[in-house]
Amino acid sequence: MKNIRTNLVLASVVLLISACASNPKSTSLLDQVRIDYVQAQGNPKIATYAALEMQSATEALAKANAAAKERESLETVDKLAYLAKQKIALATEVASKKSSESDIASSAAIRDQVRLDQRTQQADQARVKAEEAERSAQAARDAAATATQQKNLAQANEAQAQRQAAEASAKNLQLEAQLAELAAKKTERGLVITLGDVLFGTDLARLNADGTRMAQRLATVLQQNPQRVVLVEGFADSTGKTQHNQELSERRAMAVRDALLDMGVARERISQRGYGESYPVAANDTAANRQLNRRVEIVLSDDRGVITPRK
Amino acid sequence: MTACNSMKAPATADVAVSQAAVENASQADGTEFAPADMQAAREKLALAKKALAAKDYKAATDYANQAQADAKLAQAKAGSAKAQSVSATLQEDIRVLRTELDRAGAQ
Repeated sequence: MKNIRTNLVLASVVLLISACASNPKSTSLLDQVRIDYVQAQGNPKIATYAALEMQSATEALAKANAAAKERESLETVDKLAYLAKQKIALATEVASKKSSESDIASSAAIRDQVRLDQRTQQADQARVKAEEAERSAQAARDAAATATQQKNLAQANEAQAQRQAAEASAKNLQLEAQLAELAAKKTERGLVITLGDVLFGTDLARLNADGTRMAQRLATVLQQNPQRVVLVEGFADSTGKTQHNQELSERRAMAVRDALLDMGVARERISQRGYGESYPVAANDTAANRQLNRRVEIVLSDDRGVITPRK
Repeated sequence: MTACNSMKAPATADVAVSQAAVENASQADGTEFAPADMQAAREKLALAKKALAAKDYKAATDYANQAQADAKLAQAKAGSAKAQSVSATLQEDIRVLRTELDRAGAQ
């Protein structure tokens, strides 16, 4: 039912248009302007930025529409439609311009911020570089100070070493002089001091006065050379029982040891052994030779406290 | 004639207003940015002046109004084109600055 009525209305409109072809209710230009107008209405920028221009365009279009409704001449309708068209375009352009200007304002603010960020970053980087430079300068200063310190230390060490070398050499000279007094012999085992039989009472394991003096000299050497140790070796001739001779050699070695202990030499620096009849230095055929065999040999270690063992 | 004479003053004013609008648009670089609209405005202004001289005041007013609409549009087009150009330049500036910032920051 509704469709039929609509169709009737449409038919009458067609009839009217046909009847009034010379003075139409619209023109192709006006139709176009109406489309432009609808588009402009949908443009949010125009609503925001060009309300006044849009108002003017609305009024111009209303005049054109009115002229068309009043069936004014095609020229009159088109004239008014043209004005409306230009005003709609004007509103569009004005909206576009103001929108761009708004963008410019916010972009300028953003650009300024970015520039500020850039300067901040440059300042930060410059500061970091300066700090790095200061750190490396400090490191260089520290290194220089350390080098100077090390140089001074090295010089001090060298001076000390020279002093010690001088002292050592003085000590060696002194030692040599003292050992010469002790009649020390240089052997492949080191320095060996021989305390002869005459320094002991006959068949006694006790030093006489001369023997004690020798021991005192040796004790002095040992006190002045604390890195050195001694091995006291006792020997006997072949007269009498082997057992007796062994014991005698041990006792004489111990007698020397005890003397050194009495003179303040530390026990751990002295070792002693008895060899009995072994290692004679002469044949046991005469009294003089046998006296040579009855002896105590004191082996003085090297600077490191090492004594080469008897082969 | 009376009716026609009564339209003389407003028509003259309309033409003067249009003349001013065309000059403004021209100064605002309308010729450069909207040559077709400027051309139309100038032609219609000339027609308006001609009609005014011929005492056809109605035509003079019509042409003057159209010339004014064309000139205003030309001026607005020049303005929006310039603003868009400035906006685009700024955007490019920002893009370049940000690139520099990022590159410098990455170092």
